Amino acid sequence: MDTGRIRFFLSEVRRNFTRTLGMQFTAIGTVAITIVLLGAFLFVRQTLGAIGDDAIKKIEISVFMRDGATGAQTQAVLAKLRADPRVRSVVFVPKSEGLRQLRERLRGQIDTSLLTANPLPDAFRVRVIDPGRVHEVASFARKQHDVANVAYAQDAVQKLLLVAGVLGRIGLGIVALLVFTAAIIISNTIRLTVFARRREIAIMQLVGASGFYIRMPFICEGFIDGVLGAALALALLALARSQLMPKLLVALPFLPLHQVDSGGLTFALELLGVGAAVGTVASWLSVGRYLRA
Amino acid sequence: MISLRGVSLVYPNGTRALDAIDLEIAKGSFVFLVGHSGTGKSSLLRLLYREQVPTRGQVVVEGTRVDKLRRSKVSLLRRSVGVVFQDYKLLPDKTVWENVAFALQVTGARTKDVMRQVPRVLDLVGLAPKSRMFPSELSGGEQQRTAIARALVNNPKILLCDEPTGNLDPANTNEIMDLLHRINLKGTTVLIATHNALVVDRMRRRVIRLEDGKIVADEERGYYQSSAPTGIVDLPLVRSRSNGYGANPLLSE
Repeated sequence: MDTGRIRFFLSEVRRNFTRTLGMQFTAIGTVAITIVLLGAFLFVRQTLGAIGDDAIKKIEISVFMRDGATGAQTQAVLAKLRADPRVRSVVFVPKSEGLRQLRERLRGQIDTSLLTANPLPDAFRVRVIDPGRVHEVASFARKQHDVANVAYAQDAVQKLLLVAGVLGRIGLGIVALLVFTAAIIISNTIRLTVFARRREIAIMQLVGASGFYIRMPFICEGFIDGVLGAALALALLALARSQLMPKLLVALPFLPLHQVDSGGLTFALELLGVGAAVGTVASWLSVGRYLRA
Repeated sequence: MISLRGVSLVYPNGTRALDAIDLEIAKGSFVFLVGHSGTGKSSLLRLLYREQVPTRGQVVVEGTRVDKLRRSKVSLLRRSVGVVFQDYKLLPDKTVWENVAFALQVTGARTKDVMRQVPRVLDLVGLAPKSRMFPSELSGGEQQRTAIARALVNNPKILLCDEPTGNLDPANTNEIMDLLHRINLKGTTVLIATHNALVVDRMRRRVIRLEDGKIVADEERGYYQSSAPTGIVDLPLVRSRSNGYGANPLLSE
């Protein structure tokens, strides 16, 4: 290893930085804001996803048998449903059990002792594997012989999927916009550094420096801006998590926040990677343009 | 070594800087390029280190067609051609040593080579004792010697000097010319664009005179004021006041 060479290179990078220090802070700050918002967005999206998953897992299709269907007919439908690959589970609810559950639910609201006969049919509670196919499975069940009716929270499912999709797209759009902004600001920083160091660059070109040697300090500069910005963002996110998470868990106990892994090392490394990539790519693209100009 | 064939250079604004130049410069020679300001001397030098590409014609340096050189190969050419300017173009925040070493370091040279080459050229230009000083602490002549050291540190075959003594007083001018002469004696081809008649007349070397982008005289052991009829009378005193190049040695001597 030629340490003199490395020292020279590092001193060049340091000179780049100190020449346009104010702009470096701007770039680092912009990356930090971007990454904080990206982190927050990912957290919200994961939480929403978890809520959605929770709700979707709970969605059941109620399949009601024709009144007076025989045990054999009921068994046939059960077997059909169990055999379907889209179905996660089928629970048989005989009419007596259905009445008990109804009484449970209506306790204190209606005097259920007034019910002299059981008006409920035998039923199945069906859960599906893929929440997107609830509709399909429901209509499949409806077509079965001796099935009187099928009920499920169709609207709820569709709305949930719709909301999750729209939120995901809006969030992605915002993050893309932020990444773009950060890239522009880094690119501008690089341009200012190129301008501040135009004498050095002119001399480098004059004495036959290779393109690599001329560009590398600038690309490193963008990389460092990105990494420092992301590191700052991670520190802020970690702080927010340690301060806010306990309060959120208390304030919003119904949210499945415990399922959201927001503190993972992979997550941190991913955000750091995003910062580094934005910085490097932005400077890579701009340094060539501004050096030529 | 250096060869120009039918070279013309027209700038985008329409100015014709060079017009059908044919020129051969042999290896190891010492050549002056003289003529008025704006007559194409600097343009001609710029063609040789590929700062400019000719509009027409061939430029060959060290067997390489410079006019056809790919951008990626320009850096290699520049290492075999040293360039020195009137305004030195030193980096003010680097010491003499660092300024000279910079030219090697940015080509990816090994530290071992930097440690060997830099003292060698600083010794050659006589600046070894001042290697830790900054350009602002040096005289003009010393700054120019630093620039020459930087141009030589890559061991170029050719040294191009664009008005190297334009900002210097007569004593410093003589020092620099002696240095360039010594460098030439070591085998480096030296090509100097200048308006300094005293320097040219004292050295008595090959003199190529440019006028309006054309070669109007080319003499071995020539004088600044060509013996060939040129039709235009050179007026260095008047020009030195109007072109802002600073002290003219003719005025101060």
